[in-house]
Amino acid sequence: MSFVFAAQLFAQTTESDHPVPILTGTAGYFNFVTAGQNQLDAQINPVVLLPLGGRWLLESRAEFEGAFQRPPDGGSYGGMVSKNLDYAQVDYIANPFMTVTVGRFLTPFGIFNERLYPIWIRSIQQDPLILPLSAESSDGMMLRGGFPANARVNLNYAVYVSAISTGHSNLQSNRDVGGRMGVFLPGPRLEFGASWQKLLQDQRTNSFGFHFAWQPTRLPLSLHSEYARSNQGSGYWVDGAYRFSQLAYWQKVMRHLEFAARAEQFFNGQISPDEAEALGLPGANTREGEFGLNYYLHDGLKVVGSYGREFSYTGNFNLWTVGVAYRFAVPLGRVAE
Amino acid sequence: MTSNVLKALWLLVLMSTIGIAAASPRTDTSTEPVVRNSAEAESMRLEGEKKFRANCGRCHAAPQKFPPRMMATIIRHMRVRATITDEDMRLVLLYMTQ
Repeated sequence: MSFVFAAQLFAQTTESDHPVPILTGTAGYFNFVTAGQNQLDAQINPVVLLPLGGRWLLESRAEFEGAFQRPPDGGSYGGMVSKNLDYAQVDYIANPFMTVTVGRFLTPFGIFNERLYPIWIRSIQQDPLILPLSAESSDGMMLRGGFPANARVNLNYAVYVSAISTGHSNLQSNRDVGGRMGVFLPGPRLEFGASWQKLLQDQRTNSFGFHFAWQPTRLPLSLHSEYARSNQGSGYWVDGAYRFSQLAYWQKVMRHLEFAARAEQFFNGQISPDEAEALGLPGANTREGEFGLNYYLHDGLKVVGSYGREFSYTGNFNLWTVGVAYRFAVPLGRVAE
Repeated sequence: MTSNVLKALWLLVLMSTIGIAAASPRTDTSTEPVVRNSAEAESMRLEGEKKFRANCGRCHAAPQKFPPRMMATIIRHMRVRATITDEDMRLVLLYMTQ
């Protein structure tokens, strides 16, 4: 029996030495109702992963999003399909402590942009108010990695230099430098860290932020939070998701159900309301609370529904979201030796 | 002035990269963990599960288990994205391919 197990293990680990290219990503359809205005949102975010040898990885993610709504005076739905190249990068695993990345990559500022952005991962589908405070993608070079400081503490880092790119509207980036440092305690599953970004163009402003993540070992609870500040504004969000898997009744249903909530606040910066709105930021100081339920039909397919309310001196309104998010992954080669 | 600073910064990053990569101990690129017997394999699998919950669980629930060759690609992607340590990556891969 143990011989069979060992042989099986050997076969699997040998196969895992020969990674196969993958087409993965997410697709989703949502109805966002903001202040009574219904928006139909369909999106697909394909990700291509192409491993080369033992140390290289080519990876890319594009975003195709169609947002359609009725004109204010009535009529049929209309809108635009936006296309973006989120990242197209070459990773070289130089050693156990460092990976060198070149190309277009997600800016390592905070945790939402890099880790929580995909619709199958995020627990609340609306973007946080402060997301536009840092560049979402950068074109240049990055060094990053994670390593154990001791048995109880892991450290992770990312530093980058980005060049200005103005040619194509879907490939824009700023000329800036920045980095992020994180401390992860695997025991209590707690992570905290800080980010910094220096713009090397226009007003040469600084941005900085802090992040926090905690998954208690005894509860199916996940907490995340970020704070960010720049000349464009400042703010924070706190996000929690609780899986009802520990409830004793209706186990078959409850273990697939998740309650999610987010509280956030944005404070105006040193830019005009029009400039803020052009960047995707609120034009005024804003508070928002949102809660909802996610039901996982399986690990890569979930149905979501949430309600929120936004408060600002320009007006208070409701935010409703219903939709479905799906994660797919298909091999682009033989999966068996 | 800005241009010179940027050039110097690029040069510094490039030199550091080459220096660190050259000076570092050779990386074993094989993802195959050293397993001597089934008891040790079970112990490593449990450790892998722990590492999975600590690292991957920071952002998402456990995905389905894909074939080992797919999982190896996904783990390499996640190593870069989530800055997982080398050792944790190997244990998570072992856990996810059992």
